[in-house]
Order: sequence, then structure tokens, then C-alpha cells
Amino acid sequence: MRATTIETFTIAPHRFAVGYYRQTWWNWLIGSAFFFGEIGAGLFLISSLTGHWLGMAVGYLIVMVGKNSAHLLYLGRPARFWRAAMRPHQSWIARGIWATGVFAASGFLVLFPRFLEPYWQLGAASKAAIGVLAGFSALFIMFYDGFVMKASRSIPFWDTGLLPVLCLTYATLGGTTLALTLRELRGEAVPAVLVNAEYLLLVLNLVLLGVYLFRMSRWTLAARESVRLLLHGAYAFAFLGLVLLVGLMGTLALSLVHHWMQWTWIVVLVAACELTGDFALLMVLLKSGLFSPQTAPAYRM
Amino acid sequence: MRLGLVIDLRRCVGCNACTLACKQEHGTPQGIHFARVVTREVGAYPTAKRTFLPVLCNHCQEAPCAEVCPTGATYIRPDGIVMVDNQKCIGCRACAVACPYMNRHFIEEGLLQNGRGPRQLTAFELVKFASFEEGTMTKCTLCAHRIDQGLEPACVVTCPTECRIFGDLEEESGRLQTLIRERGGEPLLPECNTRPSVYYLAE
Repeated sequence: MRATTIETFTIAPHRFAVGYYRQTWWNWLIGSAFFFGEIGAGLFLISSLTGHWLGMAVGYLIVMVGKNSAHLLYLGRPARFWRAAMRPHQSWIARGIWATGVFAASGFLVLFPRFLEPYWQLGAASKAAIGVLAGFSALFIMFYDGFVMKASRSIPFWDTGLLPVLCLTYATLGGTTLALTLRELRGEAVPAVLVNAEYLLLVLNLVLLGVYLFRMSRWTLAARESVRLLLHGAYAFAFLGLVLLVGLMGTLALSLVHHWMQWTWIVVLVAACELTGDFALLMVLLKSGLFSPQTAPAYRM
Repeated sequence: MRLGLVIDLRRCVGCNACTLACKQEHGTPQGIHFARVVTREVGAYPTAKRTFLPVLCNHCQEAPCAEVCPTGATYIRPDGIVMVDNQKCIGCRACAVACPYMNRHFIEEGLLQNGRGPRQLTAFELVKFASFEEGTMTKCTLCAHRIDQGLEPACVVTCPTECRIFGDLEEESGRLQTLIRERGGEPLLPECNTRPSVYYLAE
């Protein structure tokens, strides 16, 4: 029998073996930080655009408590976290720290303007400027996670400009869903634009996910293996079940049921489905990231 | 000056002497190997064989680990060696995710409390572990402390087959450049555009 060289790779069980190496550094804490940052900033922005103080306050709290706590819990040396702001010209993590800092200050002033009044008599223009600053910093927090992941070129599955776009649309969807839920639960009138935006974003996210997977299935071997893990491999249940079926299809179906039946309790289910899909997507993106096998022309691979 | 290595894959026998020499030199905690030999089996019976790929930090000139580091803890020395200042490191592990060669190592909480011995750290471990800090990243320094004394890296002097050749990659007529030119030396994962300082000569 003629000998053949095996050129296919599997996932390497350890670092002394050849194969795809799993990304194990960024775990559920980073996934949670990204998740809280996206939905919190999304809720803040959507609520500020629709003039809903409670939504803004809840979004602000989700970012300040959820995102920041998860980041601090993850760091090996949390007491030195301030050092992460040192290189905004080069690092997306540093830019994220700055955006979160600006959001913390401007968001607080937007929510509680009376804290300023005993000291400064701000004009309407200054207050509007602070509001715009809070809005832009929230927008930045919604999509910068995608750039943090994209900056790691070593993982081909993340090496695409589609990732920040996907983060932004998912954050907007999460924010819209939560804004709708808060209004429904308080018995307030829901602007039609929010309901329509929800449907539109669900379809848009489905299309973007499809484009993303299609693009990655024609990228490097490691990216293709990541797609395989999502569609047929270890994360197929999480991706197909939680992200697609529960997160997008389930949310869409329940939103339509709510639209026709007007049962208030369904909005809680809609929010639960959407948030489950949102978190599951971030987790499967992190976990399915693979490093390429150590190859070189000199190694004949 | 740009210090680097050329590794002759035709000479490597996969003995892992470099792995052990590095471990001895740096006294790294359990599970952390700055140098290692990646092994794979190729072919099918009766012509199956094992091939060896000694790997270490590539001390890239376009180091992705340094680019993504938010604190500046990872930096490149004037001689091209990529270093980590563990006093500045916050343990965000962005560098580990960014390194396509998987050559960054995180010192988990409690790792420096557990040595090889049954009860307490040995005298060797007490001395060596002092240069590490829990909750921070560490990596191959190309034995910068030895280079500063005019010595070669431990993995280079230990290799019994002399498959590792150490020198200055910027010397056009030097041994490294000559070998790379004559035998077509290539870095690992050249598509990553990291400009590594470790080149491999074909088997």
C-alpha cells in the first residue's frame, strides 16, 4: 500500500501535540462582561433616544455593576486595573476603559443632573453636550468588544470586520428588547418604532450571522473548523439551539404572539429568550475560537 | 541588532533537552514550558514516522502580544527580545489570545505555592519562583539574563545535536542569514505577518 501523508488536523489535546489549539484564556467572565456591557449600553442608548429615564438608569447600572464587576473578577491583578487605560492609541482594551470611564461620568450626570446644579449652573447646550457624550460612549461600549476580539489576529474565526457589526446589532437588539420589556411591565405606552425595530433587528441579526458563518467557512482551516464546531461539533447545541432557535426564532415567534394576544407576561419570556441567545452567542464565539496549527513551509505541513 | 535563532529541523531528534534546560534555567512553575518540542506522526505504516518541531517565543518584531497589551507590560528591547514587566501586567490575558504561537503563559493564583515536593517549596523553587508573580503573564525571555552576560540561551547551549543556532539576524553576512539564504529558512505561520526572529530550516 502506498503511504500517504496525513494533512488534516484535529484539536490538540495539549501543547506538545500538533493541531488546532482551543482558546481557553477568555472564559465565561469575559463573556459576561461583554454581555452586560452590550445589553446595558444598548438599553441606555435606546432609552435615551426614546426618553425613558428608568431604562437609562437600569442600563447604566447593568454596565457599571455587571460589566465592571465581571472584568475585575477576571483580571489576575485587579488592583492594577487602572493601568489598562495607559495605551489607548494602540489597545482596544484601553479604549474600552476610557469609554467606560466617560460613560460612568456623563451617564451619571445625565441621569442625575441635580447633582451638578448646586455647583454649576449649566445651560441647555452644556447639558445636551453631556447627553451626547453619554450616548456616544454607550455606542462605543456596544461595539468595541468586537474590535477587542478582532485585534487577536491569531484566531482566524475572529479576524473579520463583521464581528464589531454583529456586536453592535446584538447590543441594539438586547437594548431594544429590554426597553420594550420595562415599558410593558410598567404598563406604559410602547412606541411603535421600538416594536418595529425589534422585528427588524431580529431579522438583521439572523442575516448577519448567516453572512458571518458563510464568510468564515471560506476562510482559513482554523476558521472552518470553528464553523464546524458551531454547526456540527461540540457547540452545535448552544449555537443552533440557544442562539438560533431560542435567541432569534423563539424571540421572533413570541414577539408576534405578544403582538396579537397582548399578554403582558409574554414580554418576560421574549426578554429571557433574547438575552439567552445574546449570552450564548458571545460564549460560543469565545469558546469556538481556535488557534491555527503550528505550521511552516520548512516543516512540510 | 536583532537577536534570534535558526532551528535546523533536520538535526532535531525530539529529545526535549531544550525543554528541560529551559525549565532548569528559569525554574518555571508546574505546567509552564517556555520551550517545548511539538511532535506529530506523519505517513502510514510501513513508512510512518515522527517529526519534531521545537518551539519557543518567536520574539516577533511586529509582536501581536505587545500591540494588544493595554498597559505596556509587554515591550521589545533594543536587541529585539520581547519581554514582560510583571509589575505592570494586570493579567488580562489579551497577549495570550493574540499570540498565534501559544507562547504566553499565565501564572494562576496559588501556582507558586505548589512545588514538586510533597510539603514545601524546595530551595531551588524558592529562588526561582521569586521572579514570577501570580496573576500575571510570563514568557520566554530568550535567556536575556544570560545574553546580558555574554552567554547564549540555555536551550542553545544544551541542544546535543546543535540544531539551534543563535545570533544576530541583522548581520547580512552572519551565520544566521547565510543559513536562511542557503537553506531557505522560514518562520512559523508566516501568514500572520509577525516578523518572527526564529527561523526553521527544512527537514
